[in-house]
Amino acid sequence: MKYWLAFWTVSLVTAGVSFAVITGIVTVKGYQDLRAMFRGLAKQRIDEHE
Amino acid sequence: MHFAAIDWLIVVGYLMLSVAVGLLGKKYIGNVSHYLVAGRELGLHVGIATLAATEIGTITFMYNGELGYKYGFAAFAAALISGLVMIVVGRTGLVVVRFRALKLMTVPEYFERKYSRGLRLFAGVLVALGGILNMGVFLKIEGEFLMIVSGIDTRYLIAVMTAILLLELLYTVVGGMVAVVITDFVQYVLLSVATILVSIYAIYHAGWDQIVAKVSTTMGSAGFNPIENPKFGLTFLIWQVLLWFSIHTCWQTTAMRVFSTKGPDTSKRVMTWTGFIYLGRGMLPMLWGAAALTLFGVGAVRNGVPLPVVNGQTLAPIDAMPAMLANILGPGIKGIVVAGMLAATMSVNSSYLLGWSAVISQDIILPIREQIGKKPLSSRSQIFVNRLANLFVGLFLMFWGLYYTPPGAVYLYLNITGTIYLAGTFICVIGGLYWKRANTAGGYLAMLMGAAGAIVPFFFLHWSENITGFAAFGLAALGLVLGSLRGKGFRQPRQAVNPALGEAE
Repeated sequence: MKYWLAFWTVSLVTAGVSFAVITGIVTVKGYQDLRAMFRGLAKQRIDEHE
Repeated sequence: MHFAAIDWLIVVGYLMLSVAVGLLGKKYIGNVSHYLVAGRELGLHVGIATLAATEIGTITFMYNGELGYKYGFAAFAAALISGLVMIVVGRTGLVVVRFRALKLMTVPEYFERKYSRGLRLFAGVLVALGGILNMGVFLKIEGEFLMIVSGIDTRYLIAVMTAILLLELLYTVVGGMVAVVITDFVQYVLLSVATILVSIYAIYHAGWDQIVAKVSTTMGSAGFNPIENPKFGLTFLIWQVLLWFSIHTCWQTTAMRVFSTKGPDTSKRVMTWTGFIYLGRGMLPMLWGAAALTLFGVGAVRNGVPLPVVNGQTLAPIDAMPAMLANILGPGIKGIVVAGMLAATMSVNSSYLLGWSAVISQDIILPIREQIGKKPLSSRSQIFVNRLANLFVGLFLMFWGLYYTPPGAVYLYLNITGTIYLAGTFICVIGGLYWKRANTAGGYLAMLMGAAGAIVPFFFLHWSENITGFAAFGLAALGLVLGSLRGKGFRQPRQAVNPALGEAE
């Protein structure tokens, strides 16, 4: 049982840290991606009308 | 009422912000590709945000919390498998790379590329039916969470959830995938903050050592070892691997994110990194469930676990986690957490509304129109049909979702309803992409046998979820092989998807 507990503890810490770190990165860089998406969509609409 | 004025202010402010940014999406909708796959303009980071937000809802927290309460740390195995399988899919590009390269908009669309229009229609019906029934339990359970944490009287459950659904419908119908992506981003940030806050509070209040001790005394080694746990075991673990491979590749709402990325390489990276988020998506709420067991698991023992007793009232295990939050979170924090959970609810529901309505419009209504000789619809008309389908799904959920109660553990109910079509779909997609002899006869047989393999054993023979899952995937594979080998000549010449159903690029 103690090996399983150790395994789940390591897994939980990995999961929690990954979740927090990726959230931080995605929050900052996702905003830039959104702006790029808007630019791309606007360009597609212009190209369609030409 | 558990909510203070500051909590209401945060929640109402969030709702207004969410709808406002969602409505921004409308101005970017020019054709059906913009509406359904955001013009395939998703970059890596926003791709991760929208995929994670789509698959992390209050329903996810609730069923994972229930698993943690009932099965302790052994439940972590399900979360670990879901995350690891997603990382494998991302690293190898299994299915997703080819799907993205094919420029699909829905999963059943692939069936017409590889098999036939008839099979696309058949798959579309099964996918829409299974998906909507799957989503059908969301509203009620999400409503329960909200009622318990905020303290709103249960008499208002239907009114509150209807109002939330209408808000989701508003921006999803108007702005399609673009609106969903924008709101998903905001919602992902908020739900993640809430997830981290609740995890800290749960461990602080219940105590790590106490959680371990409670699981140990209640369940013994079965609370830690998933193979030893009677509900899980080796068959469960193998079924979960199969199921998660099929979900991460063929689940319509997940696949729509793959279709929306800038290219195959971006889709692989989105899957890989979201896989790490999936570990937390499962394990953290399971930990909350185990913490709720520690704090409130003092009632009569049912199925080997004491029922939660909160403020003198005995609850169902699934309600233990939200009851814990109502008791341990202070003013302000509670508002942030509920806003986060609402964000999770709205991101899932809006994505699912769009996903299933896309299948109804693109894979059922439009092919039937063409089959009966009507002329192809313009891109603008297709958007209109999509919006109508969206409204239809929303209305169905409003009535079905608020009155139907799933039997047994919600996680397992969702798994089985998903398996009804996922088994056949996954086998057909894998066979179609990687086995040259797969043909239409095999495709039909796989879809039929996969659905029968899930429905008959579970609903009529009352077999366990594990065996049912095996039966569904096994029969679907058998169906594809037998049908393809015996149905030689049945395969129709490969044809391009009808241009009317494709995107204008």
